[in-house]
Amino acid sequence: MRSVYRLTLRQLLGRWRLSIMTVLSALPVVIAVLATHSSSAPSVQEFEDVAFSTLLAGSIAPLVVLAIATAAFANEIEDKTLANLTLAAIPRWQIVLPKLLAVITIAAPFIAVSALLTSHIAFLADAKATLAVTVSAVVGVVLYSSAFVWLGLVTTQAIGVGLLYIVLWEGFFSRFVSGVRLLSIRHYSIAWMHGLDARRFAAPDHLGFTVAIITSAIVFGGFLLLSIRRLRKMDVP
Amino acid sequence: MSGDRAPVIRVDGVSRWFGSVVAVSDVSFDVTPGITGLLGPNGAGKTTLLRLITGLAATSSGTVTVLGEPVRDNPPLYGRLGVMSEHESVYGFLEGREFVELMGRLRGVRSLERAVDRAIALVDLADAQHRPMGTYSRGMRQRMRLAATLVHDPEILILDEPLNGADPRQRVHFQQLLKELAADGRTIVLSSHILEEVEQVADTVLLIVNGKLAASGGFRAIRAALNERPYHVRVMCDAPRKLASAVVTLDSVDAVNVDPDGAIVVLSRNVRDLQIELPKLAQAAAISLRRVEPLDDSLESVFGYLVER
Repeated sequence: MRSVYRLTLRQLLGRWRLSIMTVLSALPVVIAVLATHSSSAPSVQEFEDVAFSTLLAGSIAPLVVLAIATAAFANEIEDKTLANLTLAAIPRWQIVLPKLLAVITIAAPFIAVSALLTSHIAFLADAKATLAVTVSAVVGVVLYSSAFVWLGLVTTQAIGVGLLYIVLWEGFFSRFVSGVRLLSIRHYSIAWMHGLDARRFAAPDHLGFTVAIITSAIVFGGFLLLSIRRLRKMDVP
Repeated sequence: MSGDRAPVIRVDGVSRWFGSVVAVSDVSFDVTPGITGLLGPNGAGKTTLLRLITGLAATSSGTVTVLGEPVRDNPPLYGRLGVMSEHESVYGFLEGREFVELMGRLRGVRSLERAVDRAIALVDLADAQHRPMGTYSRGMRQRMRLAATLVHDPEILILDEPLNGADPRQRVHFQQLLKELAADGRTIVLSSHILEEVEQVADTVLLIVNGKLAASGGFRAIRAALNERPYHVRVMCDAPRKLASAVVTLDSVDAVNVDPDGAIVVLSRNVRDLQIELPKLAQAAAISLRRVEPLDDSLESVFGYLVER
């Protein structure tokens, strides 16, 4: 497992990807700084809605993860080096899991630092709120990683499909169709935020902390199993 | 090909289609220890067949077993296989040695350092082992990929067009290496679209044309079949009609046509005799031959003939 993990880290640590991730992760921090120095500063509720619920959990985190996770397998499928791994005498889960862990290892620090700095600035060093935002953002990264690694295995258009998912499902439908929130990683992340600091953050409709923990586990495990199954069944180029 | 020995690889009624395109059609054969050449023109279905044999792709129908076990989704079996695909892409950021080490680790090699040293020495690339593979020439990449294929000392080797990019010296070295590995009792399947390349190393040959098994057996039998096929030979000379009337009397000639441009086209089922008799005939008749050339000597036409038989 360690060999696949290290290999994937080296594959994914390209300069352009790191640059994109740095720029995207810096956005919420910049917005937080501007908002706190603005004469017409938004209310805490407005800031929470824009900076955390919409921007960080609904856009920045999934975009950063999309850039990394879809490449975990897609690059090797494209350059036809995946057979080096699938012809190894190891079970498929020992290929998928380290790749997923490598994706999380790269994406999580960017999003965690972004969430930590943004919430620290916005909530004037409120430790509990900062912790809630940071942990929920990392949970979002973990869940998006699992989903997008699978996406990179099932389609060669993973980036395009992933963008559609982020914009339409997470950005549009989950906002206006209440039932969709039960199947929205963004809303799981918001529910985690509420669960860790109910005093500061409002709960999303129809999604309590306990349900969010359970559905998060199901989403992570479900996409992990789907990826393993896909790797077993697919034709490797 | 079954012979007395138990088959190491058994391909039984295997087909594979992609939509309406049939890449491999109802192919059956057994492979026993030694070197088996998988021969066929480009696009014949060799690579698809090798992908089915290695379990990288699923069959649409039929079964593939290796050492008596289904090969598809069977990781423990992969530790006994060494596979070198036709794709030459490598992890360019890895040093050659790192790549071989990685493949060794993934295949459960115990004395890794020693195994890597041995594999790299086999392909004679010790001097370049610490260079990133992205800086290698095509031939060097192929050799380092071969080292990675051999690092776990596999019982079965599946090599898809392994001599691509190799210079003549490397080819000789590689062919010698294959013979030594086969002499140790390994089973080697080697694909190529070059007849002579396979002829020099393979004990037995599988001819694949248009996704079908056109012929199989020892190389002599295949060669004999090839020698029996009719050839069209185009002859340019200073007296075509005179030569045509003389040539048609030869036993080795089945038919003769004189083209409007003055060339004669000879149909022969015994081109070897024709090669000897034609110059003698021309000399005896005081005819000067300007050019003698086969019209259908491409590998595709050779394979096409074998399929039609």
